[in-house]
Amino acid sequence: MGAPSTPVPPPGRKPSGPLGAGLPYMGPAAAPPASLPLSFLFAAGVGLFGFGVALAVEARDAVVGPTLPEVVATVHLAMLAFLSMAVLGAAHQFGPVVAGGPLRSVTAGRVTMVAFTTGAWLLPYSFATGNENLLVVAGLIAFSAVCLAAWNLSGPLSLRVGGAPIEGLRWSVGFFVLTATFGVVYAFDLRHGWFALYSHVVLAHAHLGLIGWLGLSYVAVAEKLWPMFLLSHRPTTRSATVAIRLIPPGVLVLATGLLFGWAAVAVAGAALVAGGIGGHFWSLGGFIRHRKRNLELLHAFILTSAALLVAAVVLGLVAGLADVSSTVRSRMVSAEVAALVGWLGLAIIGHVHKIVPFIGWTALRAKGVHKKADGKPLLFADLFDGRVARVTYLTATVGTVALPVGFATATAGVVVAAGFALALTSVLVVANLSLGPSRAVRAARQAEAVGGATVGGARPAAAGAAAGPVGSRTAGPPTSTSTSHAN
Amino acid sequence: MADPEKAIEAVRTGLSCVLDPELGLDIVSLGLVYDIRVEDDVVVIDMTLTTPGCPVSESLPLEAQEAAQTALLMTPGLDARVDVVWDPPWTIERIDPDAAREIGLRV
Repeated sequence: MGAPSTPVPPPGRKPSGPLGAGLPYMGPAAAPPASLPLSFLFAAGVGLFGFGVALAVEARDAVVGPTLPEVVATVHLAMLAFLSMAVLGAAHQFGPVVAGGPLRSVTAGRVTMVAFTTGAWLLPYSFATGNENLLVVAGLIAFSAVCLAAWNLSGPLSLRVGGAPIEGLRWSVGFFVLTATFGVVYAFDLRHGWFALYSHVVLAHAHLGLIGWLGLSYVAVAEKLWPMFLLSHRPTTRSATVAIRLIPPGVLVLATGLLFGWAAVAVAGAALVAGGIGGHFWSLGGFIRHRKRNLELLHAFILTSAALLVAAVVLGLVAGLADVSSTVRSRMVSAEVAALVGWLGLAIIGHVHKIVPFIGWTALRAKGVHKKADGKPLLFADLFDGRVARVTYLTATVGTVALPVGFATATAGVVVAAGFALALTSVLVVANLSLGPSRAVRAARQAEAVGGATVGGARPAAAGAAAGPVGSRTAGPPTSTSTSHAN
Repeated sequence: MADPEKAIEAVRTGLSCVLDPELGLDIVSLGLVYDIRVEDDVVVIDMTLTTPGCPVSESLPLEAQEAAQTALLMTPGLDARVDVVWDPPWTIERIDPDAAREIGLRV
């Protein structure tokens, strides 16, 4: 007489968790519903496509007239519809996870997503069409979305939690509001002519957004993501402290110098920013050196994006300090901004191949999908195609590297190629990361049809509640202690 | 009264079916399970995670809890409890060397 294939509990003994049905919800307790960050990230993918297409169309004007309305529209598509959208999604996910506290309101997060998407597309459209009334409306919508996001994120970010990730996110959200305020002032200035829109004023706005809001968000969140994704434990976090303590004041000083045309102040600010970036590279070096995993695709994305940041720093130094003609200086500035966009864009594209599968895996487990069609446990890597991800790395690298090269050499054809490469990248990323979870659900339903298991039958529960006593004699999540164990 | 040794072995077997969803290796081979012992009528599992705050910092212990309780269903009188511990921190040396090399970890 053999053992039963399915364990049958003794009479009177009930299992403390569901047997055979979906497992209880197992996401981090502070994280918002998966649909919230994923909606931002999906919108960012669409934004990348829009940016790529616009770049290809406006390439000829972009290399000779970076302040032309259609070119300004293209730049804003990149900054808002792609980069800011992606970073907002990451902030709504990782702000609560890092701080250990929830957003103030999930509904506010959804409103932010809709409003920011509206503003992020209407603003470029109004630039391109010269519709000043629409520009003001779009600007106010986007600004309202930014303020709502800042309020919502202030919930977790105001908790008494320390560390570089939280400190950096607090600063970056502040810079987000500052950048948006700058933009709103521009919009009204177009109608009232309060100040002349010199190029150094535009650069102040660009650096506030690119480095203060977007770059600092990445530098801060990377300190949280890299130990997990690179499986790397550094003995010290001094490098993170250097990065987070130098970049914010550096950006403020740099932006002030650029805004008022005070060269010495701008150089001082640039030096502080460079020091902070040095801390970020020091940190990256430490993570690579102490990693437990062999080099893989994410490393490629991170290191290539870091190279673009180096290029941006060099181009910025040349543009700011070298004795060159105004034409060359203008090209170097355009190339620097393009290199910063490339740094952030490539980093985002690389990291979403880790972030989206994790968020999706957690959501699938909550729906009871935890095995593949062959009955083996569902892993993160099962939620996207690795081969497509490798092709994505190639297309993204071509696009992000060609961008500053095209601007530095004023070669429209190279910028066109960059645009098409980036548009193709967006299609690959969105398709790859969307279809994987759909395949997993289909496979689970097929297994359900064959074996009678239930998919979607288990409703998400509070973390730890449904599994019975865990970590203590009373119901609750596993306890976390510092019990010492001899090796 | 249940045999404690058999209960511990059953739990260890159950835990070996719990995979880290990113690394694709079970938590016993990963060296995340520090201790399994019986205290009164509870099988206590001391486990850790590869990184504090890792993506599965809440789901993996819960899954281990579920697996341990399932393993004990045929053992009347015993329940299971998972305690997450951080001391000593997990290091690569705790992982089964063959398993580590198989999934591309640097041993």
